[in-house]
Amino acid sequence: MMFPLLLGYLPFVVPLHFFNTWWYVLLVPLAFGIAVIYKATRLARLEDFWRQVIIMTTQIILAMIGLAIALTVLVQLVIPRLPVG
Amino acid sequence: MSTAAPSNERLFSPPAAACAWLWPGLGHIVLGEKRRGLLIMFGVLFLFFSGLLIGGFDAVDRVDDRLWFLAQALCGPIAFVADFINQSVIKDPNVLASFDETRTTGLARVNEIGTLFIALAGLMNLTVIIDALHFAPKDSGRDGSNAASTPRRRSEDQAA
Repeated sequence: MMFPLLLGYLPFVVPLHFFNTWWYVLLVPLAFGIAVIYKATRLARLEDFWRQVIIMTTQIILAMIGLAIALTVLVQLVIPRLPVG
Repeated sequence: MSTAAPSNERLFSPPAAACAWLWPGLGHIVLGEKRRGLLIMFGVLFLFFSGLLIGGFDAVDRVDDRLWFLAQALCGPIAFVADFINQSVIKDPNVLASFDETRTTGLARVNEIGTLFIALAGLMNLTVIIDALHFAPKDSGRDGSNAASTPRRRSEDQAA
């Protein structure tokens, strides 16, 4: 039910509260923006720029997913099994 | 017959760094790297305006989020303009009378992520400013005359 949330919405004035639930989707544009700036400054040649950006965006997202899985395993499985005292 | 060796010299250009802060990407355009400058401009402004769209102008707040604003200010004058709009329009109940404060104030993750987007835009622009300050001219591939099929890093160019 996204439509009622958009009633009276004014871009840049009213925050997109919808993303309080779907905040992790925003990792994609964040990784994309970082990759564009990084590759624009680092690559000596820009012929293959957008392919490099897509690769780096994917790498960042996969790394974050990997970190999330590792932390979940640590917090949910490993730490509860540690001896107390 | 002599051939020109690739130059590894870096230009020290404070005016280009100043231009890079004034408007993202302008420093590289001033240095003759028009396409690179436009791509940098796209990247920084994409992060900046995405942050504003997600968190609203409340995501740039020099008064309440001073530490975050230090990073956001690296985007250049546009961060100060966004803060001015936030302080003088969004936070003024008389200006946006039809919007109560709870609607124009970013809360929870929306505010955090909007703030983070713009702060990261500023920090990435800091790397751009440093790159423009100590600019390494590219000796090949700019006009396609000596372009390799795969992109190389500058460090690889220097090692060659």
